[in-house]
Amino acid sequence: MGLLSPQDEATLKQHLSVITIPVQLVLFTQSIGGSESGTVTKQILGELAGLNDKITLVEKNFVLDTEDKSKYRVDKAPAIVILSDDVDTRMRLYGAPTGYEFVGLVEAIIVAGTGKIDLDPQTLKWIQAVDKPTHIQVFSTPT
Amino acid sequence: MAAANTNITADAIEATEFMDLSRKYRVTGVPKTIVNETVEILGGLPEQDFVRAALEMPDAP
Repeated sequence: MGLLSPQDEATLKQHLSVITIPVQLVLFTQSIGGSESGTVTKQILGELAGLNDKITLVEKNFVLDTEDKSKYRVDKAPAIVILSDDVDTRMRLYGAPTGYEFVGLVEAIIVAGTGKIDLDPQTLKWIQAVDKPTHIQVFSTPT
Repeated sequence: MAAANTNITADAIEATEFMDLSRKYRVTGVPKTIVNETVEILGGLPEQDFVRAALEMPDAP
């Protein structure tokens, strides 16, 4: 049985219909010694990818795929790296995207799939002026 | 923010799954944001306030 209800699927399908650019969700999981959340994450991403043919799930092994791990600078699993037409958006999600994180995941997919950033013009100007490496980490919980 | 500038990387982290990190950054409530290991923002803020705090630009208009 799917994690998303038929009603959720219909709503999400509509939200995701704005996507025009292919989005790749690169999922790193660890099968041995990893947490259960890797399995849940894989199921969620699989169901999302099934709702729009521009969304693709790409699976990587956190232990074995060391080249990809270093390419995307992934240091923990489960990890979701979001690509927009194979270009790294530098947006990452760590842990199962349930609860609030799921909303964030869908929003990130829409940004990657449309190239549109829904921010105030002044805020965007400030962000675009950043000229040094800036690493933002946001901690949240599912509820 | 990451999508708007290639200098920015944004990680959303599930706090209960990565307890070591949560302890390291003293995550006592969520959302908690850490920028470059130095800036800490606890709780949600309006868009402009959040960006100003994250980018340490208190004098911005």
